Amino acid sequence: MRKQYGALVVGAGIGGIRAALDLAVTGHKVALIDKRPNHGGILSQLDYQFPSDHCGMCKMLPLMARDSASQYCLRKGLFHDNIDIMLSTELTEIDGEPGKFLVSLSRKSTLIDPTKCVSCGKCSEVCPVKVPSEFDAGLSERSAVYLPVPHAIPNHYVLDLDNCLRCWKCYEACPTGAIDFKFDERKDFHILIVNSDAEVADFMKESLREQNFTLHFSETGHEAVEMLTSDNRIGLVLLGMNLEDMDADRVLTRSLELRADVPVVVMATAGQEEQGADLVMQGAREYLTKSLASKTFVPWLDKLYMRIMSDSTEKLEVGAVILAGGFECYDPKMHPAGSEDVWSYDHPGVLTAVEFERLMSGTGPTGGQLLRPGDNKPVKNIAWIQCVGSRDVRKGADYCSGICCMFSIKESVLAKKATNGAVEATIFYMDMRTSGKDYQQYRDRAENEKGVRFVRSRPHSIMPTDDGQALKIEYMTEQGHLVTEVYDMVVLAVGARPPSGMKQFAVTLGLDVNEWGFAETKPYAPERTSRVGVFAAGAFGEPKDISESVIQAGAAAQAASRIIKVYNVLAGIESEPEPEYPDVSRDPARTFIAVCASCPTLGQSIDMEALSDHLAKVHSVHKVVPIGRACTAEGWAEIGKGIDEFKPNRVLIGACMPYAYIPRLKELGRTIGLNPALMDVVDIYTPTFKPQTEGKAEKEIYVSLSMAVAGLQGVDPVSAPVMVDITRSALVVGGGLAGMTAAMSIADYGYGVCLVESEEELGGLAMRLHTQLDGSDPRKFMEELIGQVQRHPNIKVLTDSRVVLSRGSAGHFRSAIASPQGVFPLEHGVSILATGGHEAKVYESGLCVHKSVMTHLAFEEQLATGVIDAGALSGVAMIQCWRSPGDDRKYCSRVCCPEMLKNVLTLKERNPNLPIYVFYRDIMAQGFLETYYTRARKAGAIFIRYDTDNKPTVAFEDGKPVITFFDHILRSKVQIHTDLLSLSSGLEPNDVEDLLEVFDVEINKNGFYKEADFKWRPVDFLKQGIYMCGIAHAPRRMGETVASAKAAAQRALRILNAEKIPKETVVASVRHSLCSLCQACVAACPYGARVVDMEAGKILVDEMLCQGCGACAAVCPNSATVLKGFHDGPMMSVIDAALEEPA
Amino acid sequence: MATTVKIQVEENNPVLALQGFLRGLLNNESLSGILVPVHLFGKGIPMPTLVTNPDQLSGADPLAPAFPMNSAKLLSRLTRGQSTERIAAVMRPCEIRAFVELVKLNQGSFDKVIIVGVDCMGAYDNVSYKKFLGDSDPQEATLNFHGQVGDGNNPSINGVEIASACQCCEHPDARKADIIVGIAGANLHECIPAMASSARGEALLSALGLPDMESTNGREKALESLIETRIVTRDAMLERTKAATGTLKDLSEYLSSCVNCYNCRVACPVCYCKACVFNTDVFEHKPWQYMEWAKHKGSLKMPTDTVFYHLTRMAHMSTACVGCGQCSNACPNDIPVMELFRTVAERTQESFNYEPGRSLDEPPPLSVFKEDEFQETVSHIA
Repeated sequence: MRKQYGALVVGAGIGGIRAALDLAVTGHKVALIDKRPNHGGILSQLDYQFPSDHCGMCKMLPLMARDSASQYCLRKGLFHDNIDIMLSTELTEIDGEPGKFLVSLSRKSTLIDPTKCVSCGKCSEVCPVKVPSEFDAGLSERSAVYLPVPHAIPNHYVLDLDNCLRCWKCYEACPTGAIDFKFDERKDFHILIVNSDAEVADFMKESLREQNFTLHFSETGHEAVEMLTSDNRIGLVLLGMNLEDMDADRVLTRSLELRADVPVVVMATAGQEEQGADLVMQGAREYLTKSLASKTFVPWLDKLYMRIMSDSTEKLEVGAVILAGGFECYDPKMHPAGSEDVWSYDHPGVLTAVEFERLMSGTGPTGGQLLRPGDNKPVKNIAWIQCVGSRDVRKGADYCSGICCMFSIKESVLAKKATNGAVEATIFYMDMRTSGKDYQQYRDRAENEKGVRFVRSRPHSIMPTDDGQALKIEYMTEQGHLVTEVYDMVVLAVGARPPSGMKQFAVTLGLDVNEWGFAETKPYAPERTSRVGVFAAGAFGEPKDISESVIQAGAAAQAASRIIKVYNVLAGIESEPEPEYPDVSRDPARTFIAVCASCPTLGQSIDMEALSDHLAKVHSVHKVVPIGRACTAEGWAEIGKGIDEFKPNRVLIGACMPYAYIPRLKELGRTIGLNPALMDVVDIYTPTFKPQTEGKAEKEIYVSLSMAVAGLQGVDPVSAPVMVDITRSALVVGGGLAGMTAAMSIADYGYGVCLVESEEELGGLAMRLHTQLDGSDPRKFMEELIGQVQRHPNIKVLTDSRVVLSRGSAGHFRSAIASPQGVFPLEHGVSILATGGHEAKVYESGLCVHKSVMTHLAFEEQLATGVIDAGALSGVAMIQCWRSPGDDRKYCSRVCCPEMLKNVLTLKERNPNLPIYVFYRDIMAQGFLETYYTRARKAGAIFIRYDTDNKPTVAFEDGKPVITFFDHILRSKVQIHTDLLSLSSGLEPNDVEDLLEVFDVEINKNGFYKEADFKWRPVDFLKQGIYMCGIAHAPRRMGETVASAKAAAQRALRILNAEKIPKETVVASVRHSLCSLCQACVAACPYGARVVDMEAGKILVDEMLCQGCGACAAVCPNSATVLKGFHDGPMMSVIDAALEEPA
Repeated sequence: MATTVKIQVEENNPVLALQGFLRGLLNNESLSGILVPVHLFGKGIPMPTLVTNPDQLSGADPLAPAFPMNSAKLLSRLTRGQSTERIAAVMRPCEIRAFVELVKLNQGSFDKVIIVGVDCMGAYDNVSYKKFLGDSDPQEATLNFHGQVGDGNNPSINGVEIASACQCCEHPDARKADIIVGIAGANLHECIPAMASSARGEALLSALGLPDMESTNGREKALESLIETRIVTRDAMLERTKAATGTLKDLSEYLSSCVNCYNCRVACPVCYCKACVFNTDVFEHKPWQYMEWAKHKGSLKMPTDTVFYHLTRMAHMSTACVGCGQCSNACPNDIPVMELFRTVAERTQESFNYEPGRSLDEPPPLSVFKEDEFQETVSHIA
């Protein structure tokens, strides 16, 4: 029977992880696969992320049921009870339908048994192969047997068979026998060679003599089919194409019919390559071209044999599929002409953005020092070149990668930071696309505070200087001067490309691919692909930055969980009940210590016997047992045996990589009936890494073990989880696109929704749109959505109403809603704020005075309704950022540029000769919008850039606008006369001052809701149980608004879906008899989990909101506030142990 | 310009004049009581007393050079939670500053209290005050004291000097009060200026109908030179203490006569915990723990946690230390606790640019988290 999962998530990068976690916390089992040998995607290579310039990925860890996910660094490892991770795994086949997809996964073996590998690295040391390291983006080298990323947990070596020389040195070096080349099984491997040519048979016999395979020969197709029928030992067929009795494709078909699992390799004669390729399409594994040479044939066959023997296929049944395959970075060598390298990429001073990121990393080739890779020269100035491989029609990328502007700014800031501001940083760009929330501020800071230089120009090439030492950049200034500058280093902001193998993958899955090579997604549903039940997360449908990817992943998770719910995928699968453990809190502590003695570095550097003796003297230690290879099944069994014998009530294991043991401890707890909280694993391996003075490593190991002993002694007896009952319905504030989408998402899941809209009609701002760039009809979509919402049995719509009060916490809120029918109370489990925004109103440039001036939205309306006759016009002007990133509003409204492009294209379609002038600062046409920008320019619209200190001015003659602007090339003022002027006024969030108090939430200085974390928790408020979406959170287009609404709904569902929420183990409480009510803890709590009840004279802790961070305990002077599991006494014992010398 | 009125001194007795002034205040309907030091029992130390009957102000002596305890904590008890009636409190500058700190920690409130701040020329510790008093009448002794101090004089009367905390106090001027009694530089034989420094103070003062006073220039000058002398004394004290407590060994020696009586904590006006952590189960160690510690080191001083106790108090309270010296006053074994705390506080307060009692708007430093502060200390962690 196939293993069942709620969903299969393909791609374990940030999008895949977010989607998997979102589903896992909602209670669904998820299979998460990645073709790489490590999780984390591109983020495993990036140490610093905008805007904090830190990582922060751990902020994605679940907030509820925290105990089911190990709360560790997410970049290192992802552990969740509901997530099974399969690495080096690809999706090869998908059948069935939504709710019941039958998928086949091909699992590529790493040829190293992870249960035996102790990560000692001996194999890597002896391996003679050196190939560029993927992790270091090629800046350093790795061997063929290597660690994919240095920080993963668990971290086992993998073998890259493609680059393996078959010297078997690693096999000999491995102390644990973890590397398996299947030597012994060779003679049992039967190969059937079907060929009419005697020469081939002789060649095979001759060249494979030493390989020990069992060979069978057949000269005719009939005989071969006969042998396949009668001999079930055959494991591989080598099929020649020149059989006399049967065509090769007939033999292939028969073979596949008889023995589908036996791979067939076609041996084509030179000239038959095409037929060979055809046979591969029909199911052959691959084809070879004769004549065969033993030098290449033998290694090839050997490796094929190892693949066949080691790789496996996993078949699963899943409810839905989420694709999060991410993107590939453009390779600057990929010049369409083939040979010419316009970027001098081979020069040591030219790096791609990812390479630069690795260079700045502490784990990178220079340990984070800014030195030129290759020649280690210091770097005095760096240039970043934007749009390398993006926004380039000639390179097949008529789209904007959307991420490069921000990462180049970030990298320039990092470079400044690494050199204390000494390095000169210049960014060459076309448009600085800082269209995300607070991006413009980050750019301004880089420019004004950090001294990064921004040059608007696109250098056409990079050439080495005459001496070859540095790099020469030639570019044209806006004034038309040609300038040459010399740089030590140039970083290419390489754009995003569809993931490799996308075409084949799309065929396998039956997916449509869009004109840019990414997965085709639906308008107003960016998570939906062309195949029902298969969803796109992250950047799979369009290049996206982290924040957008995370939102998109949330939307995909929402769509998948809807399928899982609708088809009741996991019905009948009962989750295992939580085991009950005996209370040992009153028994004296009896600690059992198992010390793994097999790590090669450990035995060399410390005296294990002395260590055991010292440990045995530590209080409560009952028994110290050295064991072999704790990380292997045998070692684990030894530990179990020891526990059985000595019946301890505390278990401590000294081994390497403690994180890897978390799931095992749970298992062990179940078997021996001891709460896993009373067990711990301590890293005794790391101290032996660095060469140290005599006895230091030993002391360090002793100390960390005795600290853990002290810690275990003080572990609180875990009380039975207190459950909080959930009110399984939602309150959604705002009846626009975001609010309605969120409401639908929750209502479709079967939970009640109360949708509160302050206006008389549903619809909000989106109702003002008439057309869309992609040709879809927003009106129709909105009207249908409104109809669905109004008819939905689970949604109660209240228009002309407001929320006046909301109290309580996640799972159980009590609110009051004022409607025309009066004020009434509402109980609900979650709240979603989707209060929207509006077109900014400023009366300048003749707006509202002259009929010839209007906003883009009004212009669209007049175009759609026919008020404007494009044919009758003689000239139109448009001004972008008309009052946007000026003094008062430092953010990009994100919708105005597409809106402008839409109007330009409509006008040009109706009147191709109409002169259109667009005044802009930066055209924000991220992603595929770029195509429309290209079209608008091709259609002849004239784009004129202006600076904030040289804005175009508007005057009127006979009521018609006259625009005066500064021409950069003429260096003088120029006037144009037009019939109409259209202004981009920008978006402003609606005024929510009253709601801030009602819901106790915050806004940023631009009035948009403040999220818990911009990148990792983009739709959460810090306060649990309240979520945000749509333009009340940040300016968004319709598709993005829908994604954010679905993501918010998914976050809400994880609370609604839990009938009861168990109390977390680590939460704070107040010992009232000690509390002086100074309320320092109330101020310190970042989650708003504490309030002072003046009447009772008590500080109250909301256990749902408390995240166990301990800020309260740190600020409380007399430990009136305590954090469970971190009481002063035990903590001091631990510190004490840390300071003790071995007795 | 805020109102400054004259409290006329008759018969060379400023104490009587101040009693009259306070009586005037108490007669105002808006005040139900006054907290003021009173000689209640003949020759004892004047104690903070909540007086509601104006007649009983005859023992009040706000000028007595006695400082048996810091009244900030007492005022916190009178103003915490829901106090209904308004009172006045006559306080020294260090008492007011301590009270400001307590209010920030929600241990009291300014809402229902009028602070009458009196410039402080210093006071004796409890033992010295008795020596200073000898057999004389307390009020006369007060007059005698004020006759001899001023402008930074530090006279030795009956062989005793004012407390070392007062000798190095750089805040003798009353601030953050509603009404300031400016005795610094005043001719106490003639009149004492009383200045309103809040709207509430203004209203009360003008209701008294006292004559206006033109100038208090003498006060400023007197304070200036007083502060100058005290800063010199303070800096010398800080240097001395720093040298004596620079290492853990020196610090242990400095505190070697401590008997863990915790009197200093009880006396400390800003140590506000209802129950100190050192009185909780946290420091109830197990017998085997004592044995292990003893075994590791070969010997173990009992009781344990002595230096730890002082370090903890420094960690918790040094940013709020107003230097009133009550800790030293309370120590039965004459450990110079004030000197130690002021030395540590000097640096912790400087680190956060924090001056306790300066402003209600400055949150206590440890209650504020700034991601970017003290990079030199934490940058290796990031």
